[in-house]
Amino acid sequence: MEIAELKENMYKLVESAMGKKKLKAGDIKKHYRNEGIAEDQVKEALKELVDEGRLIYTYFGGSYVEIPPK
Amino acid sequence: MPKKYDTPLLDELEKGPFPSFVTEIKKAAARTEMAAAELGVLERCYREKKTHWKHGGIVGVRGYGGGVIGRYSDVPEDFPEVAHFHTVRINSIAGFFYTSESLRTICDIWDKYGSGLTNLHGSTGDLVLLGTTTDKLEAIFAEYSSRGWDLGGSGSAMRTPSCCVGPARCEWSNIDTLDINYAVTQEFQDEMHRPAFPYKFKFKTVGCAVDCNASIARADCSIIGTWKGNIAVDQAEVANYAKAGMDIQAEIADLCPTQCITYAGGKLAIDDANCSRCMHCIAKMTKALKATGEKGASILIGSKAPFVVGATLSWVIVPFIKMEAPYTEFFALIRKMWEWWDEHGKNRERIGELIIRRGMREFLEYIGVDPVPQQVKEPRRDPFWFWTEDDLNQKPWEAYTK
Amino acid sequence: MALPQRRTDIGPPHYKDFLPPVIQKNYGDWKYHEVINGGLMVHVANSGDKIWTVRIASPRLLATDTIREYADLAEKYCGGYVRFTTRNNVEFLVSEEKNIEPLVAELKAKKQMLGGIGPRISNIVHTQGWIHCHSACTDASGLVKVLMDEFADYFNEKTLPNKVRFAVACCTNMCGAVHCSDIAVVAIHRKVPRIEHENVKNMCEVPSTLACCPTGAISPDPAKKSIKIKDEKCMYCGNCYSVCPALPISDSEYDGVAIVVGGKVGSLRSDPKFSKLVIPYIPNNPPRWPEVAKAFKIILDAYIAGAKKHERVGEWVERIGWEQFFNITKFPFTFQHIDDFTIARETFRTSAAFKW
Repeated sequence: MEIAELKENMYKLVESAMGKKKLKAGDIKKHYRNEGIAEDQVKEALKELVDEGRLIYTYFGGSYVEIPPK
Repeated sequence: MPKKYDTPLLDELEKGPFPSFVTEIKKAAARTEMAAAELGVLERCYREKKTHWKHGGIVGVRGYGGGVIGRYSDVPEDFPEVAHFHTVRINSIAGFFYTSESLRTICDIWDKYGSGLTNLHGSTGDLVLLGTTTDKLEAIFAEYSSRGWDLGGSGSAMRTPSCCVGPARCEWSNIDTLDINYAVTQEFQDEMHRPAFPYKFKFKTVGCAVDCNASIARADCSIIGTWKGNIAVDQAEVANYAKAGMDIQAEIADLCPTQCITYAGGKLAIDDANCSRCMHCIAKMTKALKATGEKGASILIGSKAPFVVGATLSWVIVPFIKMEAPYTEFFALIRKMWEWWDEHGKNRERIGELIIRRGMREFLEYIGVDPVPQQVKEPRRDPFWFWTEDDLNQKPWEAYTK
Repeated sequence: MALPQRRTDIGPPHYKDFLPPVIQKNYGDWKYHEVINGGLMVHVANSGDKIWTVRIASPRLLATDTIREYADLAEKYCGGYVRFTTRNNVEFLVSEEKNIEPLVAELKAKKQMLGGIGPRISNIVHTQGWIHCHSACTDASGLVKVLMDEFADYFNEKTLPNKVRFAVACCTNMCGAVHCSDIAVVAIHRKVPRIEHENVKNMCEVPSTLACCPTGAISPDPAKKSIKIKDEKCMYCGNCYSVCPALPISDSEYDGVAIVVGGKVGSLRSDPKFSKLVIPYIPNNPPRWPEVAKAFKIILDAYIAGAKKHERVGEWVERIGWEQFFNITKFPFTFQHIDDFTIARETFRTSAAFKW
């Protein structure tokens, strides 16, 4: 997967989980590992999404990845 | 002028010889509205005997998942100045060494954007800036980072590592604690700023078993300096201690936990093969006794405070490892541990708790460390243990029957 | 005004740039040190070079005004070099012997408390408390102030059989090594959390809330889209409140502090030890918690009277036996003292040999 495509895919993964289950960065990594995507690529995609502000880290007794509130 | 609150209860804590935190808050309260309101809230906590802070949430600087702790007042209508009162963690310097100039830089920036209150240092070892608002965070980060200061860790991430004063000012240090601390911090910047673990992970490095940083009690990875050689004895200095009034038999020989020290005819002798390297004799007779030979560290894993299964002390995993830059073997070992923990750890589960849940064998096998007696206080007491197919094919008895 | 360019992933400044020249020169080559008095020690290098350390207590919570004062003093007497200790003390690193006396004089004039070196009480490791923490059931800074005032003599002048390490934790989360200290306060709740059902629905994730409970006391309440708590299983740790803010547990009337004794972290003479419970509850009595100070005094006096030279509090108690400790201190022994958590059976007596 190209990094841009992976980023969109990852954004949608987080979006679809919102309100159901808070995802940890580890959950995202595991999801893509099961799809056979290299860990470095997953880390890079997540880093870029967070650097761009499209995703953020939140904290509720543990760190999660979420879409920032409007 | 910031608002002035009546603080009859807190004023009681300005009395007595120990420097008063109330006086500190008042100093800042004379300048900043946030510190003034902090004083007001705190007086109310004292009056009502309960906290008025709420935690949580979604605050931080762009790109990072840690370093800022969201904190809010639960009585914002009464204390609007501290409705938001976030903490910023600045990664401190190894060994907590500072210069006047660096301290002033830290203060100048903080006085521009925050309450003027700090902790030197937080329990984990961060330089803690207490009390600012969400809109100031990016500016604070830009100011500090452009001058060489980064944020520390928080959340499910590697936390700011800390160490004892080590070789900078201690004759007992078997390892370069400051260099190890700095190298760990730099090696794992990503793991510190982008929380991807099941829960927190702490490194604490100390030069010897005196453990001046409580490494064994509060670090997921405790790095404790040790040595493999003998203790060198300077008999002239032994004589000086005796002359100065030390009862060497009672204070040194009798208190040696392995009874490996004898003191006769004014001479002190150590049966080094039976020494457990506890540090008592060296610490009490520092001029006379010196550790010699190969230096390195014991790596212990798993200590933490009581949540959730009860407090643990760290367990010996690697009894001896050379700890020399660039620490390649050590970093590889840590990455293996994290891999295993990432795979199996539940939310808020520390690595020590995971070892309890899944078993020490699985952990040791995964990270590639062989079993040795130094890892346990005693072998198991129960008769229930596992045999793998591979175990069944081994013939360990041949080693001592041939 | 434009902000400077932010940088990420740079880590802290390199420590070498903050070490006094005499330390840089003798790094890793120290020969010995001597404690001159409670607030002063000297380290001597193999080269013969010396560095003196003048140590004062800080309350840890510092206004920038005070940090600037430290900076000024360091500049005046120490070439600008100063460090902090894990126990919140400030150490002025003096390279020139002639600067010691004027530095000490100025510190005394400023009413700073010199001490903490050698077999004494050092400064107290502690947590945020009511200053800043959501889960605090007491104020750590207040208790520290009270205890250090009470035992100020043992910070500076008087010596003890060995060093004594105090700690204060404002909840059972215990930020800091409270669970391995000679004498420590840990604040506790004694009532189950209150469930704000409406907020649970909005603020909390049910599975992680169930999972965080050490005793499995929390179960789902599907009808309310919330959770239930089995009161008799809850031991009031407050972990659930940190995960789910809709489960407030703090209680003005019932919260308070416990006192634990006998922990240590060093391996000297005996293995590191956990602290053990000696007083399960004292009510919060701010601003000066006189009952806590009194309990500490009873324990410390008993230690001074009974311990042999070099024995830590935990080593002394283990030698005389815990039953003897309760005889001496006259602290009541209650059901709360007998463990019923994860390692309980390790703590039950399995010998017919004990004292009356």
